Amino acid sequence: MEMFFYGFMQRAFQASFLIAVIAPILGLFLILRRQSLMADTLSHISLAGIALGLLLNVNPTLMTLVVVVIAAVSIDYIRMLYKSYSEISIAILMSAGMAIALVLMSLNEGGTNTSIQQYLFGSIVTINLAQVQLLFFLFLLVVGLFLVFRKPMYVLTFDEDTAYTAGLPVKLMSIVFNVITGVTIAVIMPIVGALLVSAIIILPAAIAMRLSKSFNLVILIGIIVGSVGMFTGLTASYQFGTPPGATITLVFIVIFIITTIVKKLVNQSKYKKNQRT
Amino acid sequence: MHYIEVKDLSFYYDEEPVLENICFTVDPGEFVMLTGENGAAKSTLLRNILGLLTPSKGTATISPVNERNEKLAIGYIPQQVASFNAGFPSTVLELVRSGRYQRNKWFKKLDAEDKEHVERALKSVGMWEMRNKKIGELSGGQKQRISLARIFATDPDLFVLDEPTTGMDLDSRREFYELLKHNSKVHGKGILMVTHDHEDIKQYADRHIQLVRKEDSPWRCFSMDSCKEPSKLHS
Repeated sequence: MEMFFYGFMQRAFQASFLIAVIAPILGLFLILRRQSLMADTLSHISLAGIALGLLLNVNPTLMTLVVVVIAAVSIDYIRMLYKSYSEISIAILMSAGMAIALVLMSLNEGGTNTSIQQYLFGSIVTINLAQVQLLFFLFLLVVGLFLVFRKPMYVLTFDEDTAYTAGLPVKLMSIVFNVITGVTIAVIMPIVGALLVSAIIILPAAIAMRLSKSFNLVILIGIIVGSVGMFTGLTASYQFGTPPGATITLVFIVIFIITTIVKKLVNQSKYKKNQRT
Repeated sequence: MHYIEVKDLSFYYDEEPVLENICFTVDPGEFVMLTGENGAAKSTLLRNILGLLTPSKGTATISPVNERNEKLAIGYIPQQVASFNAGFPSTVLELVRSGRYQRNKWFKKLDAEDKEHVERALKSVGMWEMRNKKIGELSGGQKQRISLARIFATDPDLFVLDEPTTGMDLDSRREFYELLKHNSKVHGKGILMVTHDHEDIKQYADRHIQLVRKEDSPWRCFSMDSCKEPSKLHS
């Protein structure tokens, strides 16, 4: 319990809760739009933004936001070019992001490695008050948009052609969704690290999809799974002195394995019961 | 008024013509079937009409309003609907209810009338008992049925259907055609349906548009015989 007396741990738990709510909402739509790796791509591109910011002496977070928004719009354009293989846009931009980041880092000689490392691995326990406030603003934005646009997003993710003929502005919605995902990645990345941001966004939604057959319940279960995973991971990280982002991700992996096994056993027992009757 | 008006439409894939000189209309209360051999670009024609593809020449327009001067509601079933995402986390009821959203319910709660439409639609395709099932657990034929239920729940002014009866048995298909005919004759709906089942559907449809291969074409290009009125099945 002593950890709750530390200000940095209180902020870490506050941030964890906010991320636990935001992540499955975005994660579910990303999975259903076959863009699970988009979070990964945008986090790689964020690194390019940070490297550019450090090179030009501009606030890295601000530069990341600009770069990520441009990338988020480009993803949708490339996705339209290869409609049947939408993951191609992800692959192209992921390589481009990493390549630009590495080139910019090499141009910026003189001790930026520490900063880049900080963004690469992140650390939720070094989060400051301004970051928690920014995260809270993002939380309000994502939850608010989800509550208002839940129905159009449901139809859009089910089938884009159906959404278009139903009169929805499919292109605009896709771009806005990508931009919000990009902004979320840019805000979350310094906290959890570029390498793990994708796992934290995708895993709770992926676990929830296995546990529920209803769309609305998936989001709710995703938030519960997200909160359990974040809090457990953070506590374990504090107790064992392991990196927070990696510990949280491992907790999600364990939850994924347990739920998969339990679901399989339940299905088998249901099947046997049906066989007997 | 015409719900659909196609004027001298041609469509090229990478400079190669696949559709040329297509002209026809679909009016309120009319049930039109569109046929042609495999690869006759029937789905491509529908996608041109719906605005999902852009015609290379000519125009395809859909009336923005219905006969009552309200915004026209379109119910579209694409060809590959039976192969939709098996893992999509939704119950049958949620999916069919989503058909009501375009009835000005994107940002409003569904009311009793909406729920009644949904229940009637599910019952009309024999899927009411399956309403709480996850859509990924359904067979291909059942998925097709809930897609039909979804557009019946929408109660659109214009149905655009691309081989909607794939995977359905003969009795179910006939029930479905009967339901469509009722919708066009009694409720004034416009219907354009791509089908390979034209012998069976003759007695239900008002008109038959057939896409035929152009003999002088360098590529597999399809057209109607001419831009005159297509054959009438029933006067």
